[in-house]
Amino acid sequence: MLAIESNALSKVYRSGLLRRQEVTALTEFSIQVETGQIFSLLGPNGAGKTTFIKMLLSLAAPTSGSASVLGRRLPDVRVREKVGYLPENHRYPGYLTGEQVLSYFGALGGSHAGPLPGRISTLMELVGLSQWRTMKVKKYSKGMMQRLGLAQALINDPEIIFLDEPTDGVDPVGRKEIREILRDLKRRGKTIFLNSHLLSEVELVSDRVAVLDKGHLLKVGTVDEMTATGQAYVIGITGTLPEPVTVAARAFVIRLSQQGENVTAECRTTAELNRVIDLLRKHGVEITSVTRQRSTLEDSFISLITGEARP
Amino acid sequence: MKIVTLARWTIRELAAKATLYVLAGISTLMLLFAAFAIGTDSTADGLTITFFGKPASPPVTHEALADIAGKIEAGFAGGLFLGIVLFGVFGTAGVITDALEKGTVDLYLSKPIARWQLLLGKYLGSVAAIFLNILYFIGGLWLIVGLKVGVWNTRFLLSSLLLTFVFAALYAVVTFFGIVSRNMAIAIIAGILYFMLIAGPLEGRQTGLYLLSESGVYRGILDGLYYIFPQIPAMESGVIHLISGEEMQATPFVQSFFSAGGILGLAAWLLQKRDF
Repeated sequence: MLAIESNALSKVYRSGLLRRQEVTALTEFSIQVETGQIFSLLGPNGAGKTTFIKMLLSLAAPTSGSASVLGRRLPDVRVREKVGYLPENHRYPGYLTGEQVLSYFGALGGSHAGPLPGRISTLMELVGLSQWRTMKVKKYSKGMMQRLGLAQALINDPEIIFLDEPTDGVDPVGRKEIREILRDLKRRGKTIFLNSHLLSEVELVSDRVAVLDKGHLLKVGTVDEMTATGQAYVIGITGTLPEPVTVAARAFVIRLSQQGENVTAECRTTAELNRVIDLLRKHGVEITSVTRQRSTLEDSFISLITGEARP
Repeated sequence: MKIVTLARWTIRELAAKATLYVLAGISTLMLLFAAFAIGTDSTADGLTITFFGKPASPPVTHEALADIAGKIEAGFAGGLFLGIVLFGVFGTAGVITDALEKGTVDLYLSKPIARWQLLLGKYLGSVAAIFLNILYFIGGLWLIVGLKVGVWNTRFLLSSLLLTFVFAALYAVVTFFGIVSRNMAIAIIAGILYFMLIAGPLEGRQTGLYLLSESGVYRGILDGLYYIFPQIPAMESGVIHLISGEEMQATPFVQSFFSAGGILGLAAWLLQKRDF
């Protein structure tokens, strides 16, 4: 079953006198997110990531196109019974304590996950705020607010959790804890939709990733698909690369180089790779590993955004 | 149920912001003043009301004393009315605009509540908070007058509901401008200006604005506006008449009920159409 589906979803914001100024936030955006996945939407500021989430939550109305969440065509207020949301730059009433925030928004969400007090304790423990549960949120640090925001998003035991920059302002230890929470949620069958600038974070947890720029979908796929870089292979060897191998291989591969005990062979086909391996073996070079070279998600993202790797 | 939750937490918000306590503090000072000032003295000619121990009325019968007590209560209610307009609107205008702030409204609207429910819950919470203050003041004064003068005017007690209704009608205007502008200062100014520059002159239009032109169209427009907007001054007069034991016109209350409802409906419609 699809958790989220959008079909040619577009959004144009109109402002100014007589609403004549137009800003296109999203253009015919179509994606499908399976249930139980961690799906990340990447893009520079103003790419339309938050607009997409807002349309799924009916905070903004689409200009054209359609979308459905958990099989319900939007807008449908009942969808929000099964959705948790951590907005970017969220603001809780400063006069409330951490546990009051959860109590308030839990009551508004109509918590179906058992009695609220027990659930509040569990979530405060989960996000590491038990010690500060009775402190007013106006005294919380940015990192604590993010943790509280995550607990708030989970208070109604949602099936889909939308997280907009969830690790913003969180220290490295906290980020690791949040990653663990996300993985645990996934294990429990929850769908997580993530907007983040922290590409290294996204790479560590996401099943699928979509890249958005200026409202247009550039690419969607698994992290492996996004980071694969053609037919470049890294061959681990012991010792140095013999000169005859270098000379012979350069006659048919695109590029051959050695850094430490790694030989990088950029080939057109796997047959070429096998010829390089044959050459190495023929000259008595011990091969310790053969792996396909990958770029980081950040490299792939930048290539896409700058147009170097656009399909 | 969600509306009740929103209203309950709005009262809590106003308490946390000290709005409720400031209003209660002002009411307490006025009640203490009344408790020390008002008294009665019995003479051979009848009963007289005293003000800080000095006779403030000629000796009268107990029935006539009730009329005088009613007028005193009506005077306090008039003062309370102005207090509601000033402090009530100042203290509660932020309830709507704060809820619509970026980062906060997203949290509310990501929950399974309709936008009109958010609006109504916040609105009713503010009105309920002001009702608690009015009830505290009116109930306190009712007790003081009852205990010290021996007049138990139930109409005065009833006026707490009507004064709350007057506030609710004015607050609908403040809410509307809060939704349109998302700015607390504009909502307050619009509410006060409506009260001073629109509701008042429209109420007295026959002896004021009518004189600017004899055109039937012009006067028709003025009459139309009068019946479109909540009739705040007419309701204030009605409350004072009720307390004083005089005949009270129900029409301004009925008309204002529909008018305030219409304004809130329009505000809800605008809220529904807005992108956040």
